[in-house]
Amino acid sequence: MGSTSSDMAAASLAVMLERVAEGDRSAFEEVYRRTAVKLFGVCLRILPMRQEAEEALQEAYLLVWRKAATFDATKGSAMTWLITLTRNRAVDRLRSAGRFVAGPIELADQVPDPAPAASSKLEISQDERRVAKCIGTLAASDAELIRTAFFEGATYAELAERAAKPLGTIKSRIRRALLTLKDCLS
Amino acid sequence: MTAFSTDDDLLAAELAFGLIDDADRHLAEQRLVEDPAFAQAHQRWQAHAAALFADPGEAPRPSTWTAIVSRLPANDITSPRSRASLRWWQTGTVAATAAALILGAVALRAPTRIFVRVPVAEAPAAPMVAVLTGAKGLVTISFDPASGRMTSVASGLDIGHHSPELWAIPRDGKPRMMGIMNSSAPGWAKVPADARAILSAGVTIAVSVEPLGGSPSGLPTGPVILSGEMVAV
Repeated sequence: MGSTSSDMAAASLAVMLERVAEGDRSAFEEVYRRTAVKLFGVCLRILPMRQEAEEALQEAYLLVWRKAATFDATKGSAMTWLITLTRNRAVDRLRSAGRFVAGPIELADQVPDPAPAASSKLEISQDERRVAKCIGTLAASDAELIRTAFFEGATYAELAERAAKPLGTIKSRIRRALLTLKDCLS
Repeated sequence: MTAFSTDDDLLAAELAFGLIDDADRHLAEQRLVEDPAFAQAHQRWQAHAAALFADPGEAPRPSTWTAIVSRLPANDITSPRSRASLRWWQTGTVAATAAALILGAVALRAPTRIFVRVPVAEAPAAPMVAVLTGAKGLVTISFDPASGRMTSVASGLDIGHHSPELWAIPRDGKPRMMGIMNSSAPGWAKVPADARAILSAGVTIAVSVEPLGGSPSGLPTGPVILSGEMVAV
């Protein structure tokens, strides 16, 4: 077991994950080497305390080691799989810490979109650029609701409570935004 | 199977963004297994959701990898393909059983050589500086993570009978109080723990105009007049 570094350099992330599923530790290290920077960014976005983010990152990679066999390359990209797993781990941590304060959500549309313009970033992928562009076409408060759901693990019910709006209003608002997003992305 | 509707697609999106409550989520997750069209839609939305993390990220400390390796089960070398057919929640149990069975063989395995190839400096040790600019005035901040202390120097900062207050704002957008600064002379201060924990390169530092003595609420109440980004020296 174990791969040589030259065949690893050429292999895709998906292939590396398959090797991780076989218990190949050098492949696991290679996955870490290629993705730790991005996934640490994911953790930091959800858990701004560096120590918490590092803990979440460790847990995420331990899950990668254990669950690599569940990754199916025919069903999506390896990076999406890794980001989703890491996001879920970090959000669980955020929620389980007992210190999470769900602040009120301000829905006034004059609130500027806090996300930096996609064009200001160089290392952004095509996908990220497209999604950022399409999110930018939504009302700032709708975009904020979607981001809060994803980054803080807030469900419809929580969003409604935090925004002090009826559940039905929040639901239809987000659904409409999701459809707009879909049109823009297709 | 019925035709894939807009509602189905929305449900896939709601699942991917984490919008639905536990009960609905379990139902939707069940559908992932049974309905390939739904699973495909969910996959698409998952990719969109993942792209919300547009940040290029940053390198974790080298100790992170060491910690991961030390937490790997030493004997976790179950037959991998047998795992592939399992649902994930069964994996743990089966892996544990198999691991117990092959414990003897594992003891004979030579340890894998581990070396960290993510080249990163120990971030907390590096001092950081920020130059804050705005319509008027200039503030420079330096922060020494080793001691947790900062210095601040302001020039051309005249806000009358108000106090300029410093804030550290990381990616989550929530300001952490760093304290009042002296607008007429250089100042030295210990940075409060909340702010210290999130101070790193890339964090925004801002000065807001507050009532004398500082923000009463713990959050900025007045306008932000200067801002800049922390950079490692």
